[in-house]
Amino acid sequence: MLPKYYQFYCPVKILSGYQAVSNIPFEMRLLGCKRAMIVTDKGIVGAGLTDIVKAAFADSDCEIGLIFDEVPPDSSNRIVNKLAKLFERQKCDCFIAIGGGSAMDTAKGANIVISEGTDDLLKLQGAEIITKDLKPMIAVPTTSGTGSEVTKVAVIYNEEANCKMSFVADKLYVDVAVLDPAMTATMPPKITAATGMDALTHAMEGFTCLQKNPISDCFNKAAIELIRRYLVRATENGKDEEARLGMANAALLAGIGFSNSMVGLVHSLAHATGGVAHVPHGVANGIFLPWVLEYNSDKVPEYIAELSGVLGGSIDYLEAKDQASVTVSLVRNLLSRLNQISGLPIRLRDAGITEDMFPAIAKLAINDGSLVYNPKEATYDDALMLLKKAF
Amino acid sequence: MECALHKSLILLRGLPFYPAIQAKAKYALLDVSLAFLGAAFEVVSQKVPELKNEIADWADGRKFALGVLPKGPYITLEKRGDAVYYLGKGLQSPDVTFLFKNFDAGVPVFAGLKSSHQAMAEAKILIQGNLVYAMEVNRALAIVLAYLFPVTVFKHLFKAPPKLGLAMLINKAKVQGALTPTFIKHMIHA
Repeated sequence: MLPKYYQFYCPVKILSGYQAVSNIPFEMRLLGCKRAMIVTDKGIVGAGLTDIVKAAFADSDCEIGLIFDEVPPDSSNRIVNKLAKLFERQKCDCFIAIGGGSAMDTAKGANIVISEGTDDLLKLQGAEIITKDLKPMIAVPTTSGTGSEVTKVAVIYNEEANCKMSFVADKLYVDVAVLDPAMTATMPPKITAATGMDALTHAMEGFTCLQKNPISDCFNKAAIELIRRYLVRATENGKDEEARLGMANAALLAGIGFSNSMVGLVHSLAHATGGVAHVPHGVANGIFLPWVLEYNSDKVPEYIAELSGVLGGSIDYLEAKDQASVTVSLVRNLLSRLNQISGLPIRLRDAGITEDMFPAIAKLAINDGSLVYNPKEATYDDALMLLKKAF
Repeated sequence: MECALHKSLILLRGLPFYPAIQAKAKYALLDVSLAFLGAAFEVVSQKVPELKNEIADWADGRKFALGVLPKGPYITLEKRGDAVYYLGKGLQSPDVTFLFKNFDAGVPVFAGLKSSHQAMAEAKILIQGNLVYAMEVNRALAIVLAYLFPVTVFKHLFKAPPKLGLAMLINKAKVQGALTPTFIKHMIHA
C-alpha cells in the first residue's frame, strides 16, 4: 500500500569493493580536506585495520593528523568533548571513523560539538535541531550490521545526566561510506552472526513498520536478499571476501532503508535488554525478531508474507497469514543455523537474562522511541509476554 | 455542485490576500485547539485514574510543550503532584517539545483525523529534548484523546482503539462536563 505521505533522503557517496580504502585520500581532496583525524578503538588498531587505512595515505598529499583510539563501547559526552578539542588542536579538517556504531557516533558527536560551538549536547537532543553544516566525515565500517555509515542518527551517553542522548538530523549523514572486505575480514564468527542479524532486523522491521515507503522497501528487500545469500557463508568462513563484501553491502542497504522507514518493537526490546543486561544489540535483535514478527503478523500479515519469497521460502499460494508464518519459520531456521555455526544465542536465557529482569526491560521497552513506528500497539504487558516467549 | 465549489476555491486561491488570510485562519484554529488540549490534559489528569497512573512516575516539575513551527502557536504543561497543569501559551522551558513542521501537519491531528504516531511516521512531528519523556507524554496524550474525542474517530487515532467500560464512560462524561469551564477559565486568565 502506498503511504499517503513519505520522505526519503540519503546523500552519502558509497565506495564498495576490494581496496576501496585506497580511495580515501582522493575522496578527501574532493571534499576540500588535507588533514584527517581517525576515530577508532584499541581493538581495531590491534587488529591492524588502521594500518590498512594508513597505507592508503603513503602516496598522497593528504595526511593523518591524529589517530584517536579511545572510543569506548558506548560513546560518551566526555570522550566526544575530548575528541573535539583534539581535532581543533591538531588542526584537522575532516573525520575518518573506523569501526562500528560507537566510533561513528563518537565522531558525529565531536563533529556536532565543533560545528555548533557548544559542549552542552543535552540542548541539541532530538530531531532536526542540528542545522549547521558539519565537518566532512568518511565512515569505514568494520562490522556489517549497524548501518551507521548511512544513518542520520547518533546516540551518546551523558555521564553527568546518566542518560542516553539521541540526535537525529539530516546533517548527521556522513559524506562518504567505504565498504572494503578487508576491513571486516577479522570479525569473529559470533560477531559476524550477531551483526548480520542486526542488519536483517533493520531490513525486516523497516519493511513492516509504519514509515515504510516504496523506496525504502527496495533497499530493505535488497538487503534481505544479500543476507540470505551471504550471512551463513560469512559466518562459516570469515576469509570469504565475496561474502564479507555481500554482508557489508547488506548492512549498508538496510541502513539506508531503515533510516528512512524506521524500526519497531524488536528494537524497543533490544535497546531495553541492552540497557538492563548489556546484551549485545545484534544478539538481542536476533532473539526478538521471530517473536515480534509473529506478534505483528495479525496486523500486517501481507508485509511479513511478502518477505518469505525474499528469504527463499515457499512460492506456493498461501493466505497472507500462513505465508507470514513461513517467513517467521525461515528466520528461526536461519537463527538455528547461526547458533550451530557460531554459538549465537537464540533464547534470552542463553544471553544472560534472568526472569527477574523482565519488569525493568519491559518498562524501558515501552519508553523506547522505536515503538511509535511499530504497526501494532504494544503495552507493558505485551512486552512482558514477548520476553517470556523469547526466554 | 462539486465543480462549482472547485471553481470557487480556485478563484479564492487566486486572490492576492488569500494566503495571508488562510495562514491566519489556520493559526487561529491551532491556537484554540492547542489551548483546548491543554485544558483537556488538566481535566483528564484530575479525573481519570489511567492518566494518574501513567504520570505517577514523572518527576514533579517536568514540563512538556506542543506547538507548530516556525512561529507557534505553542502551549506548555507541567506535572505537579498527581496531575498535569496547563501553564498557558508559549514555550516555558519545557523538557520535551512536540513540534509540528507546519500548520497543515497539525490540523488533521487536532481534528481527530490522524494519530500522533501516524504524523510521526510521516515525519510531520519533530521531538526536541528527551525521547523517553516524549514516549511517556505520547502515552499520556493517547489517554487524553480517548476522553476528548468521540468513539467514532478512534480508528484514526489509535493503533488499538481503547474499549471504554462503564466506569470509563462515566469518567468521560465528567471530563466533557468540566472541559468547557476549564477552557474558559484559562482563556480569561490568558
